[in-house]
Amino acid sequence: MTTASVTANEQYNYEVIRKFAIMTLVWAVVGMLVGVYIAFELAFPVLNFDIPYITFGRLRPVHTGAVIFGFGGSILFATSYYIVQRTCQARLFSDGLANFTFWGWQAIIVLAALNHVLGFSQGREYAEMNWQIDILIAIVWVAYIVNFVGTLMKRKESHIYVANWFFIAFLLAVALLHIFNNLAIPVSLTSPYSYSLFAGAQDAMTQWWYGHNAVGFYLTAAFLGMMYYFVPKQAGRPVYSYRLSIVHFWALIFMYMWAGTHHLHWTAIPDWTSTLAATFSIMLLLPSWGGMINGIMTLSGAWDKLRTDPVMRFLIVSLSFYGMSTFEGPMMSLKDVNALSHYTDWTVGHVHSGALGWVAMISFGALYHMVPKLWNTRMYSDKLINVHFWLATIGILLYITAMWISGIMQGLMWRAFDDFGNLQYSFVESVAAMHPFYVMRGIGGVFFLTGVLVMCYNMAKTIRQGKVEPAGAVPAAA
Amino acid sequence: MEWLMWFTKFENTKPLALVIFFTVFCLILLYVFGDRKRGERLERHKHIPLQDD
Amino acid sequence: MKHDKIERNLGLLMVLTMLAISVGGLVEIVPLFFIKDTVETVKTADGKEMIRPYTPLELRGRDIYIREGCYTCHSQMIRPFRDEALRYGHYSLAAESKYDHPFQWGSKRTGPDLARVGGKYSNDWHVQHLIAPRSMVPESVMPNYPWLMSPLDTSDIADRMSALRITGVPYSKGEAEYRQNVQTFGEEVAKMLRIEDAEANLRAQAVSGNYDNNPNDITEMDALVAYLQVLGTMVDFSKFDDDYFVQFR
Repeated sequence: MTTASVTANEQYNYEVIRKFAIMTLVWAVVGMLVGVYIAFELAFPVLNFDIPYITFGRLRPVHTGAVIFGFGGSILFATSYYIVQRTCQARLFSDGLANFTFWGWQAIIVLAALNHVLGFSQGREYAEMNWQIDILIAIVWVAYIVNFVGTLMKRKESHIYVANWFFIAFLLAVALLHIFNNLAIPVSLTSPYSYSLFAGAQDAMTQWWYGHNAVGFYLTAAFLGMMYYFVPKQAGRPVYSYRLSIVHFWALIFMYMWAGTHHLHWTAIPDWTSTLAATFSIMLLLPSWGGMINGIMTLSGAWDKLRTDPVMRFLIVSLSFYGMSTFEGPMMSLKDVNALSHYTDWTVGHVHSGALGWVAMISFGALYHMVPKLWNTRMYSDKLINVHFWLATIGILLYITAMWISGIMQGLMWRAFDDFGNLQYSFVESVAAMHPFYVMRGIGGVFFLTGVLVMCYNMAKTIRQGKVEPAGAVPAAA
Repeated sequence: MEWLMWFTKFENTKPLALVIFFTVFCLILLYVFGDRKRGERLERHKHIPLQDD
Repeated sequence: MKHDKIERNLGLLMVLTMLAISVGGLVEIVPLFFIKDTVETVKTADGKEMIRPYTPLELRGRDIYIREGCYTCHSQMIRPFRDEALRYGHYSLAAESKYDHPFQWGSKRTGPDLARVGGKYSNDWHVQHLIAPRSMVPESVMPNYPWLMSPLDTSDIADRMSALRITGVPYSKGEAEYRQNVQTFGEEVAKMLRIEDAEANLRAQAVSGNYDNNPNDITEMDALVAYLQVLGTMVDFSKFDDDYFVQFR
């Protein structure tokens, strides 16, 4: 291909970023399609069709894996490689390693999905991949760290820009979490099965230390790194306060690690760990909102961009959802609120207001900013960006509203007593009451997915028009 | 390992944590926002992403 | 030290970041491995442990529970609330999952909690409910699991128990470990924990229990129902004061 020969001489390695950007779109469609399907399985169980491979229990890890590791992972690789090269004014440390991380990571997602469908699972939420895949992840991750840090070492500017700090924290934390949470004894060297090294209460603590901080570092810190680059770039003005971003960084990475136990309130773990986690969860509100304000205030004095620039709208609305879910999170970590919300759909709604509202929306904003630059062109249609924005926003609102109502209703029904002190509802009555909200949630998902398909069309057109333009044309203006 | 049990008592750890965190919080604020020169030096770096084209 | 240094020195930035992210886990998780009260002591009057490792058949049932992702909709952790006590029974003890590698406490109750489902329904009810949930509970949204009536793969049961033995579950290899188990759990339980007899024990339990109402084959249903029926039944709460377990919290 001609592009390959051109890239070798370019200042930056964009080739690998282009590949990751395309896979981001692919995994967004796959992951969200599976998500919509399993949402409807809960509303209409006939959709399980008595086929083992597509039951809710097996497809759920496929959904979480494809959106978190496929969609989220690909956009993180793409943007971190993009940001580190541009803020360091240096080409990636190694093109070979970059390609290795690309193919390695894609192989991991495909293998994991196949394994889950076939029923190979470690039985740990968000870490269902069997032990061989875990080892592969560790290898690819080390290559990623080497490549990222190697690039930072080549930097022209002596100061390391704050976005890269967040990426470093993300790289190190994910390595730490992944390794300790997946310590397991394989049944045999050829068997896909293994048993966790830890048991019961200790295992639960380790798993939710992983689960919570996967959210904290993978889905938050890294995406904040993205925010600290793309919001200023798209706004054309520097971040509101650089000092605040530094406080934000240290406070966030320190506090997040303490909060995981709030996933285990009222369970069979010592009470003090629970209280400690709740305390830190409340304190986390400070850095979270500090970061959100820092991002949003970057626009101060240029608020009209919200009206004129649809990409900016994605970025700012994602920050608003970030603010909302980082307020909701600490509230749900209060033991008394958690007593009601735990085990219900409220948690599911909370996760999705973060995952769709914050993670996905900022990823879309980043893609709309980055893809035209990568292919040296302009977005095919601003109008379609706008359509995507509204589809996504309506989808999220439908989704989280449905889950709020059903979650709180579930919680209240479970603890309702009649005049004689007996339970007022049987469990299955609460299941039946969920039905309309499960349908509504599914429809919200369809809206969101449709928005993604609109984006894919827009991107395909953009990339095509970028390719027809002669190679070696003038670099895109800032 | 028995001394660890002291930390499991809320009547000990709650005030302790409060004192520690409040002090640290104030120190950080003072460090970051207290010195004009340091502030100006830090704020200089915020232009890095805009200088990359 | 000036913060300026950290901003320019990549190695230092990485070391400090590593420190900042390690503290929380160290303080909250590591002590749980050392504080002995984390897991309750639950013994009978004659000093035998009430909570035992799973039998080979139950263990295979648990593997199937994990394979089908049951934990994505069912919790196994009853919280100390009045409504949960009425609905599910005594709140769950840490000790009750001390042989659970991995834990299956779950995080979502699309279906009810299963921590004490053992003994609540008959084997026949479970079989019918797993094959066609809506034939028993019309409002249920659970998938049908007809394929559970297929034969159970027992070939790697000894390897599975050996792997768990490495993690610390007292499945026994050799006479010394067996005698230790007799002391801890009593002879009847200790026999079931012998890795040497794993496959024979598994078959014997499946045949005598006949969980799937199909005496000819040993099916995945046998294993899963055997597992469901043992959940939450190991501790006899009538033998303890109400206050006994509170001291561990």
